[in-house]
Amino acid sequence: MAKLLSARPRIGVGMGTCGAGNGAEGVYQSFAELIDRQGRDVKLASVGCFGFCAQEPLVNVRIPGRPLVILRRVDASDAQRILDDIAAGRVTEDLALCKIEEWDHLTAHVLYGSGYPKIPSWQEIPFFKPQKKIVLRNCGLISPDDIEEYIAVGGYQSLYKVLIDAHPEMVIEQLKASKLRGRGGAGFLTGLKWEFLRKAVSERKFVICNADEGDPGAYMNRNEIESDPHSLLEGMIIGGYVMGASEGIIYVRAEYPLAVHRLNRAIEQARQSGVLGDNIFGRGFKFDIHLVEGAGAFVCGEETALIASLEDYAGRPRPRPPFPAQEGLWRQPTNINNVETWYNVAPIVSKGPAWFSETGSAKSAGTKVFSLVGKITNTGLVEVPMGTPLKTFIYDIGEGGPRGKHVKAV
Amino acid sequence: MAATTAQSALSQEEQTFADRTIVGHCGKPGALLGILQQIQEHHPHKYLTAEILEYVAEKADIPLARIYSVATFFAQFNLDPQGEHSICICRGTACHTHGSRSLLQRLRHELGLPDDDAEQTSVTTPDGRFSVRVVACFGQCALAPVMEVDHAIFGHVNEQTLERELQHLGRTK
Repeated sequence: MAKLLSARPRIGVGMGTCGAGNGAEGVYQSFAELIDRQGRDVKLASVGCFGFCAQEPLVNVRIPGRPLVILRRVDASDAQRILDDIAAGRVTEDLALCKIEEWDHLTAHVLYGSGYPKIPSWQEIPFFKPQKKIVLRNCGLISPDDIEEYIAVGGYQSLYKVLIDAHPEMVIEQLKASKLRGRGGAGFLTGLKWEFLRKAVSERKFVICNADEGDPGAYMNRNEIESDPHSLLEGMIIGGYVMGASEGIIYVRAEYPLAVHRLNRAIEQARQSGVLGDNIFGRGFKFDIHLVEGAGAFVCGEETALIASLEDYAGRPRPRPPFPAQEGLWRQPTNINNVETWYNVAPIVSKGPAWFSETGSAKSAGTKVFSLVGKITNTGLVEVPMGTPLKTFIYDIGEGGPRGKHVKAV
Repeated sequence: MAATTAQSALSQEEQTFADRTIVGHCGKPGALLGILQQIQEHHPHKYLTAEILEYVAEKADIPLARIYSVATFFAQFNLDPQGEHSICICRGTACHTHGSRSLLQRLRHELGLPDDDAEQTSVTTPDGRFSVRVVACFGQCALAPVMEVDHAIFGHVNEQTLERELQHLGRTK
């Protein structure tokens, strides 16, 4: 926690691929050089993406005791005056998008401080107003490269709780009660799906994360992984324990090199910290994760085709039944879930199913992350309760077509 | 018999690299994908030769027919030598609405490549300098239209930035 709420001012530069594509790397370099050359007492971190792609590069600035402020469209040439402002104890108002006085990471609560009356709070901004961040709870705030920051916001506590309680059936009951449905699009009840695998009898079982997000226009999974890879790992380790699998596989598109890189680093750190390995938290549970890169076939997003490609065949779908929970990878019982489904696991364990099902609609609990792109004013990634009307996306969050133009198709 | 022919066409270095790669992936899920990806990346022209496919079949004990099936099924694998520079234009929906089709046509025109409505395959200029390909979506939709040049992503590309990048790469035309 000391890293996030340090006694020194902290600058976090949004370094997802979107940020990088908009010049965030230059911004980071600029800060780094100036901080070093001028001996500034400021901590510089690279964080993930907060979701407002149209305003990238985003930089968050926190002076101890004061709210976190998100600066928008920051250019490398702005670095000097931002640093000067920090040194003088003020915020660069003309670049300020919004402030965050406190943040609920769901697994932890962070109080930044109050202040800056002239800057709107993040939920007062049209783009953020209807949003509720469950899946994206850490994105853009913590550094994805540092497991300690993940732990600081309560990361891996849900896993710990699950292992200490040692009642895997209870976790399945929680998932069923939460009414979480698969986020890959088919929307099958996750709790039920996990129960199938748990009940399957086999020496060897697998859990797989389908990160082969190929739908044009969709990049939610990419951002989730790039900005907060440990949430995915935690979800899978919990899943492995509960379903009786000791092997996890993440299948990522080759077109997402930064996501691959961040995942590899996260897995490495997780192994070093003992949350992956032969004896997790000393509870005798063995689990490890293997990363596989896709090779450019859209169809491998379909679970049986994905499995076929893991078995060294061309990625051609296979008839179901048998379903993967009965006969999956190498005909062993296998559970496959979408990236975003896994991200919902730790919050549900932490806050309980009743909390989760309060959000969303009667048929679909929780939230969903959407990408808002194309010819619209505000582009980015938004997370809203299930059941949010299309108009809210287009006219409230998106603020309509660019320069007042009519939106004709979605 | 086939293995010996393949072996003699490969350099010692290629064989050693292939051996190490195969051993490293053996028994793991997605082994063949990983093996072919690493071997292709290792080749200076970023492609898989017929000889290396035969070699992998022999050493990894996978039927050659299946290896060929995988190598031809997945868009990432090249069976022909690629150009020094690889340019990939995104043809996803968001990029399409931001004009990536005309960008692709312009790129092909600039490099003297024929227009191809099907946009299916990777095309390489005769002098071996540039390969042009498309991808269905990079997942960088807020940066539309997107182009990738030698593993670097460029966003908000227009004809000027395309031209500038081609100049930077020293296009001779």
